[in-house]
Order: sequence, then structure tokens, then C-alpha cells
Amino acid sequence: MRPDAGGIPDPSPLAILTELAHDARSQLPVPTPEELGNKWEMVSTRIAAQKARRRTLFRVSMAGVLATAVIAAWVLPRPGRLPGKATARADLSYQVEGGIVVDGGYLRESGSDTVRMRFTEGTEFVLSPGTRARLRSVSNSGARIAIEHGTASFQVTPRSEALWQVDVGPFLVTVKGTVFTVSWDAVSERFDLRLRHGEVAVTGPVSTGEISVKAGQRLVVNLPKKETVITEEDDGEKAANLDSPWTDSADPTQAPASEHPAPVSGRPAVRNPALATERRILDAKSGAGRDWVEAVAAGQWDHVLAEVDRAGVKQTLAHASSEDLLALADAARYRRRAGLARAALLAERNRFPGSPSALDAAFLLGRLEESRQGQIGEAVQWYDTYLAGAPTGTYASEALGRKIIATKALRGATAAESLAREYLRRFPVGPYAGAARELLLHP
Amino acid sequence: MRPHSSHVKLALVCPPTREHVSDIDLARALISGAAWAYAETWNRFSPVVFNMAISALGSPSEAEDIVQEVFCRLVRKAKTLRQPECLRSFIVSFAIRVLKWDLRRRRVHSWLTFEPSEALVDVVRVSLDIEARDMLRRFYALLSRLGARERLVYSLRHIESMTIEETAQAMDLSLSTVKRLQERATEQLSKWSESDFELTALLLRKRGWHEA
Repeated sequence: MRPDAGGIPDPSPLAILTELAHDARSQLPVPTPEELGNKWEMVSTRIAAQKARRRTLFRVSMAGVLATAVIAAWVLPRPGRLPGKATARADLSYQVEGGIVVDGGYLRESGSDTVRMRFTEGTEFVLSPGTRARLRSVSNSGARIAIEHGTASFQVTPRSEALWQVDVGPFLVTVKGTVFTVSWDAVSERFDLRLRHGEVAVTGPVSTGEISVKAGQRLVVNLPKKETVITEEDDGEKAANLDSPWTDSADPTQAPASEHPAPVSGRPAVRNPALATERRILDAKSGAGRDWVEAVAAGQWDHVLAEVDRAGVKQTLAHASSEDLLALADAARYRRRAGLARAALLAERNRFPGSPSALDAAFLLGRLEESRQGQIGEAVQWYDTYLAGAPTGTYASEALGRKIIATKALRGATAAESLAREYLRRFPVGPYAGAARELLLHP
Repeated sequence: MRPHSSHVKLALVCPPTREHVSDIDLARALISGAAWAYAETWNRFSPVVFNMAISALGSPSEAEDIVQEVFCRLVRKAKTLRQPECLRSFIVSFAIRVLKWDLRRRRVHSWLTFEPSEALVDVVRVSLDIEARDMLRRFYALLSRLGARERLVYSLRHIESMTIEETAQAMDLSLSTVKRLQERATEQLSKWSESDFELTALLLRKRGWHEA
């Protein structure tokens, strides 16, 4: 039985307990300032210790991150690894014949005339004697080679992911799959690239952007003169001129035949057709039409063609100066607009008959016709026209050489033999001398 | 002619002591990272936090741990205080958050280790008789069976004597939620306390009743 205090109901056990807890809590003494100060000292110490722990943890974490980064950088494959070191699993491997790779990736000859480098995926290149080159990096997609001086010939195996880059003096040649020869003369600052197959992109000074060079074209850049010239070359010319080790008859160690021109009596020596064009551009600089001539020399062919398209082709052909017509023909040839090039050259001949430029146009028309299917006969006629008008002219050796090639293709080697003998008599060290001798020895 | 002379009364103007700095100025000093502000905040608000903690936990030593933890976090997070006029509620919210975290940690620990929460041995440092100390120990044992929110609501409302509004603000809950949690806690504590025969015997002994 529970007591009943004056009719007031007994408080529940919970109420009693809660009241007890409340009373106990109320009896807690208020802390003095000294006690609070002492406790704050403890808290301050704890805070300082926590800060020190966080700093230590941060340093340990950073050290861990750094160590992980170092290990990752060491273990993971590195693109562009320098040669001579252990290569990553996917990097191309290579063999060097006739030389060795020394510190810095420089290729040094070892008694042999040439240095040849072969890569596992089939790409190879050959350095002509005296060429100073450096293997800058090798990756799984290709390599980067620097030609500091001299001539090198490349045969790059086409692959979708291939990336081969050749630093040639201040120029950069980017290739995927192609055969080409490139040279750089550091003294005269002259860049020369001849492309047999494929397509390459060239960047560097002079040109405002990337220059795309296609198969059969030759790009010559003369930095002191700020001239950029592209000329077309066909198979016969390549056989005669190129020093590529991947041609049938050429010696890879020989400098291009066109680099050793035959002096032509009574006229300035012309080193090769490309430079003939170059010389013409130089000549034209002193006269009217300077803008287009300079634009073509600077590689701004599209600029010239755009102006022609704006003004109208007929209008231009009817009123342009002799120099402008030749510049237009060059720009059109570089951009593979053969019809426009032919029209410009024909306009040159029709409007300025009897002029040296009209004769030059005849030779260039021969080159254009030669590149057209089934027009070799026309080409021979144009070469005859030129040779008749300028037997010792700028393009004489070129025209006769091209006539040998065209006649052989048109009527056979026997018909071309007499032309070959005539060529050797007139131009014994000319650019087509090798082809002429080959024809006579192995008709 | 004699020149006029004037005498200006000079008085020594003392800067206000830190004890007289308002809560708003103290909050601004905390935000700016002034070292003195931490100590002053401790002096001003650590008793508040301690009382809340001991009401919920019953153990002064554990309450002091909670207070230290609250102020360690406060020092780290002081710059996140956006409204200087809300310094008190900012600190109380911190304290509630730490208390909830601690209570939940204890429950999880007891579930994982299959051991009940430790019995409190130093219920309060006040002069109570043996029966009263034993009753308080049993009362906090019952409280420890509640969920963290129910326990906090009950202790803030009935031991710390906070109003429903104050409790709701401190715990960042709605009024209805506080009421619901309070009813649930009261119901469960009543059931548990009435079914605890030893506790009932202690209560009867306390009242001077003895079983025949």
C-alpha cells in the first residue's frame, strides 16, 4: 500500500528521478576564473597538439604523394624518351649501321661513308657524309630527328598512329608515311625538301603557316632572300636528281646532281629548275607585279589565287603583267590547278610573244603537258619550241633532259639514244647526265 | 588686458576590458582569428556547454571531454561564423552536434561489441546520500537506452530546464519534432523505470516505506 500525502497523487518514479537529476545539476558549483583559466590552458595545449598533428599528417601526405609521383614517373611509359636509355615497352627500337649514337643522341660516323638507321617498324633514314644529325627522341609512334647540317633521306613506313618529325634547321617537317630527302645548309640557310611519296607538312620561318608538300614536289626555302619555291618533279627527274637511297640507280651518298650545275655559256648558271623559277622571281622583283611575285616567293599562293578569283580569271589573263602571269602560273601549279597554270602560261606566250618570259612559258607548258595523261607528245613539242628559241637558255639543259625522258616514254629507248648523246655532248655534268648515260649503257 | 585661460577637465579613458566586450564584438574577433578571443569565448561559454553536457551525460569527466572537443572544433571553424550576433546559438549548435556524435558513437560501439554502455560511476560531484547516488546512476543508465535525439531533448527540457523553443533552436528541429521526441522519451523512460524493481525499492526506501 502506498502513502497518499493529502490527496496529492504520488509522483511517478520518472518524475522523482528527473527531479533528483535536476537538483544534482543545480548543485554544481560555478567554476571560478582560476579554474576556467587552468582548463583553458589544457584546451590550448590540446589545440596546439592537434595543429601539430595536422601539420605532420599534411607533411607525411605530401611526402607520400611526392613519392607516388616519383614512382609513377619512373614506372609509367614516358613519351619522347631519350635514345640510348632503356626504352619503354612500346617504344620503337632501332639499329644504327655505319655509326653510333653518342651522348645527346648525336649520330657519329664510324668509318663508313653513310650512317643508316633502321627502326623495327620498317622506317629508315640515311645521312649523307658530313651530315650532322641528332636523334632527339623515340616513342612508340615514331621519332624526332634533328638535322643540324647536311642531307638526309627518309623512308617512313605508313601507319595510322605514326608520328615522325624532322627538325631541319629552323624548320619542322611532320610526316606520317612517305619517302623524301631533306637538306639544310646552315651557312647559306637554305632548306631543300624533295618528296617522292606521301605528303609532309613543313612549318618554320618565311611561310606564314604550314606548307603542305605533296608527292613529286620540291620545296626550296632560301632564308636570306626570304624565298619559298615549290616545283614539280616527275619520276624521271627524281631518278636523275634525287639522292634517295630508295631509288634504283641513285647513290644515296651523292649530293643531288642539280647541286653541281653545268655552267651555261653566256648566261648565269642555273642550278636546277626550281632555282630557275627562283631566279625568275628575283628578276621580277625589280619590275611591276612585285606583289604577286613576292607573295609567291613567301608561299602565299592561296592569296594570289584568291585575288584572281575575285578579279576574274579572264580579266586577269587579259590585263595582268608578264611577271604577274608567271607568278600566277607558279601559284596555280603549286596548288595543283593545272588548268589555270596552263591558261596563264598560254596568255604569257600570246600577249608577250618573242619575250624571254614567253620562252620560259614554253618550257613550263612542256612540264605541264608532261604531267597530263597522254600529252607527252605535246610536251615534246613545247620543249622543241623552247630549244629552238633559246638553245642556250636558262632551261636548255632541262628542256633537253625532259625531252629525252619524254621521247623514251613515247617512242622507246632507241629513239632517245641520239638525244642522250647530244645531251652528254652539250651538258656532260648536267642534271640529266646520269639518266643519259644510263640510257646509253642499258637501253 | 589679461588673457582668458580655460581649463579643460581631463579624464583617464581606459579601453574596455575583454570581459566587457559584447558577444558581437567577440564573434568578430573570433572570425578575424584574434588569439584573445578564444580564451574569452572559453570563459564566457564553456560553463554553458558544460552544463548541457553534464545534463545529458551525468558524468563531469565526460562532460569536460565534450567541452574540450567543442572548443577545439570551434577554434578550427570560427571563421565559418557568418552572423556575429548569433555567437551563442553557434556555440550551442556546435555542442549539440558534438554531443549527438558522441552519443551515437557510444551506441554503435555497444552494438558492435555486444556490450552495454558503461555504467556511470561518477554521476555528479555533489553531496548526495548513497541512495540518491544509486538512483541517479540507474536513471542515467535508463537514459543511455534512449536514442541520441530523445536523450538530448529529454535532458535539455527537464534537467537543463530549456523551453521547447530553446530546445528546438539548439537542436535545429521543429517544435513538433521536439514534442514528439519528448513524449516518446517520457513514455519509454516511464515504462523502464516502473518495471525496474530495484529502482522502485530505492524510491520506496527513500520515502521511508518498507515492505511489510
